[in-house]
Formats: sequence, structure tokens, C-alpha cells
Amino acid sequence: MNHGQQSGEAKHEDDAALTEFLASLMDYTPTIPDDLVEHYLAKSGFQCPDVRLIRLVAVATQKFVADVASDALQHCRARPAPVVKDKKQQKDKRLVLTMEDLSKALREVNNSSSLSSCF
Amino acid sequence: MSLLERTHDGETKDPPSSSSSYEFTHAAAKSAVAQICETVGYNHFKDPPLESLTGFAIQYILQLGKIATSFANLNGRSHCNVFDIVLALEDLSGNDNNAEERGCSALRSVKLREIIDFVKVSDDGEEESLFLQTLPRFPVSDKRKKMMVPSFVEVGESPPGKHIPLWLPAFPDPHTYKETPMWIERGLDPRGDKIEQARQRRKAERALLSLQRKLVCRISSGDGDRVWGDMDVGTVKEVIREAESEVPEDEKRDGVSVVEAFAPALEAARDVVFGEDHAEWKQKKQKKKKPVALSKLRTEKKFLGEPLDLTLQMKGEDRSMSLREEDRDDKRRRAEFILRQCMENPVDLNQL
Repeated sequence: MNHGQQSGEAKHEDDAALTEFLASLMDYTPTIPDDLVEHYLAKSGFQCPDVRLIRLVAVATQKFVADVASDALQHCRARPAPVVKDKKQQKDKRLVLTMEDLSKALREVNNSSSLSSCF
Repeated sequence: MSLLERTHDGETKDPPSSSSSYEFTHAAAKSAVAQICETVGYNHFKDPPLESLTGFAIQYILQLGKIATSFANLNGRSHCNVFDIVLALEDLSGNDNNAEERGCSALRSVKLREIIDFVKVSDDGEEESLFLQTLPRFPVSDKRKKMMVPSFVEVGESPPGKHIPLWLPAFPDPHTYKETPMWIERGLDPRGDKIEQARQRRKAERALLSLQRKLVCRISSGDGDRVWGDMDVGTVKEVIREAESEVPEDEKRDGVSVVEAFAPALEAARDVVFGEDHAEWKQKKQKKKKPVALSKLRTEKKFLGEPLDLTLQMKGEDRSMSLREEDRDDKRRRAEFILRQCMENPVDLNQL
């Protein structure tokens, strides 16, 4: 009985937190515009009039891209710098998104998720 | 290449002839992904990795939508909710660890918690990097096509059968495929029109004949040799004024033509509209300097006194002595013709 009540209370708290999170999504505007996300979701049959869910998907995608990009950036930084003639140039390393870094980062993502089956 | 340059390049490379929305959305997604990478720390991009990362992002969205929809359908719903998305996120992440631990609450999902943390960090940290350009609402609906065939609801009609839903295009109007009765015009009153016409004609004839009479009287009385050419301006004006007074006010509208007919000038009478008598009248005009319009004037023609003065004066001054004799002969012939006409039309005289 107590356990049930506790789980019930926890459930209420979780629901409240979820509601709060969805409300906070309206304040935070994701980088990917809503129209674009809605267009791609409509392509796959996703039907929902609620803007918050669209934003949730946009934020999830943004997080996914940010994770991949940050992994690639780490690979880029980890690579030993090329031979530099001037000492000044050594500090200003050009951070360029290259195919090498990206493929390494995506490989990690594919290994850890079922996303590989989609591509 | 900096982000803005990349964005411009991405958009200008789109072929304008393509009708599909693929290029447009792909370019928008590419710029959004580049913006995200910029917030992560990158400041330069190469095109092939950016393209492939954009493709991955688009696929992520598509897969999320597809899996969330399938979860909703499994539960007998067509519209997705937050729980469907959370389940889809879990499915995509491939974490089987918390499959058993997943409780009733969606918040137990690891992925969702990660997203919440991500949002918090982004919100608390630097400013959110909004999408640089405003996207139009797409796909753009072709309103022309829509407006061509509105639905029953839009037209405000109820469909003829219960089996026809309201959102279908409305049926065409019956007059487009069925012969419907013509618009009934207001009732014709041919008798009334004829009576009115005859009345107006009689009035005009009365005035004309009285004028004729007066002119004839003047011609035949005392001044046997006097013809129109010798009649001075004042006399003609007087006669016409008398005739005018007999004519009711409302019939003086088209007086210009008749005035010009009376005027000795042939040029002034060019624009007269006599209908079928126009050709005949023109012949007479060419023979004489002063038109004899009384002979075959249509009864609709009216009289006006004022403009006559000017024309008569002008033309009187221009006449030379050599022409006068010819005019006199013409006028004499015309006067005789008028007399004959008066005698020949006993009907008109009786109406007076």
C-alpha cells in the first residue's frame, strides 16, 4: 500500500516535471526551425497539432547533431598538429569539419545505437 | 568557409527549375546543422562532411517520426503524444539496459533526461543560436487550385445526399449542366410604347407644320420673289422662335441638328443624324447654300433658336454677290417643293 502510494506520488512528480519541461520548451527555441521539423515529420506520417512535441523532436535532433559534432571536434583536436614554421600559428588551429573526424564520430554513434539499421 | 558564406552557397546552388521541395528543405537543414556545429566549436566546414551530417540529421527526424507513429498506431491512436516520442527515442538510442527499469513515467527514460539536461545547459549557457533566416511556410498550397473548386463547407451548401461528406468539393451549379428557365424580363408593353411614340411624333409634326405654314405664308404673301436667300437673319430667327414656343420643353433636346439644317452653312450641317433621310438631305444640302430641311425632316427633330444666330451671321458675311443669284433659284425651287409637300400631306394637317 505504502509502496503503491509512493510510486503514485513519484508518478505525479514525474508527470509534473514532464509538464514543466514541455512548458520550458516553449521558452527555448531550438536551432532547427519548427517548420522544417514539421515538414520532415509529416513526411514520415507523424501527426500532432502540439507545437511542444515538434520542439521536443527538434531539440532531440539538435542534441544528436551536437553530440556527433562534439565527438568529431574532439577527434580534430586530438590529431597532432602539422609541422608549423611559425610559433604563432601553432595556437590558432583551424577547426575544420572533415570527413575523417565525422566518420569516426558516426561510427561510435552507430555502434551504440540502432541507428545503423536506418542507413 | 564561414557559416554565412556556406548558407549563401547552399541556397544559391539550388536549381530554380526544381519543383520538389527537396532542395529547399535540404538547404535549410544544411544551414541549421552548420549553425549547430558552430555552437559546438567549429568555425570552418568542408562540404562533403556537412552534407552527410545533414543527411544523418534528416534521417534522424524521419526515423523518430516513423517509430513514434508506429507506437501510436499500436496503441490504437492516429495522433502521437509525448510518450510515443519518448519510446521512439529509447528505441533509436538502442539502450536495452533500462527496458525493465522503465516505469510508467516517461521521465525515467534516460534519453529524455539527457535532452532535459541539454536544454538546461543551452538555456543557462550562451544565447540560443536561432536559425538565421526566416523560412516561409511550406509546402506552399496552390490557392488558385483550391479556390477553383471550393468544398461544400466553404460554399455553405449542404450536399444533396447524406452519403456525401462536407469536405468534398461542391457540385457545380445546375445551370451549368441543366437547361434552366431564362430570366424573365420585365413585361413588354408594345401598345403603350407605340402610343407614346405616336404622341411624340404628333407633337413634333405639329410644330413642324406650323413652321412650314408660316414660312410658306411669308413666301407667298406680298414678297413673291423673296426667297430664302433674301430672308435676313432676323426674320428666320423670329419664325423659328415662334415655332419653338409651340414645342414643349422636353422635346428641345436634339435641336442642334435641326438648327444646323436651317443654317445657310452647309458645313455646319455635316454632323446631323437623320437616319434614312440623311443621304437625301445631304443631296439637297449640296445643291443649296441654305438647307431646306422642312421638306423631309423627321418628326423627331427639334428646334433651337440660340445657336442659329451665330452660324447665320457668320455665313451671311461670307456670301458673295455672284453666288446669290444661284441661291435664289435654288431657294425658289425648294419653296415650291415645300408647298407641294404641304398640300400632299393632308393627314398631317388634319392632326393640327
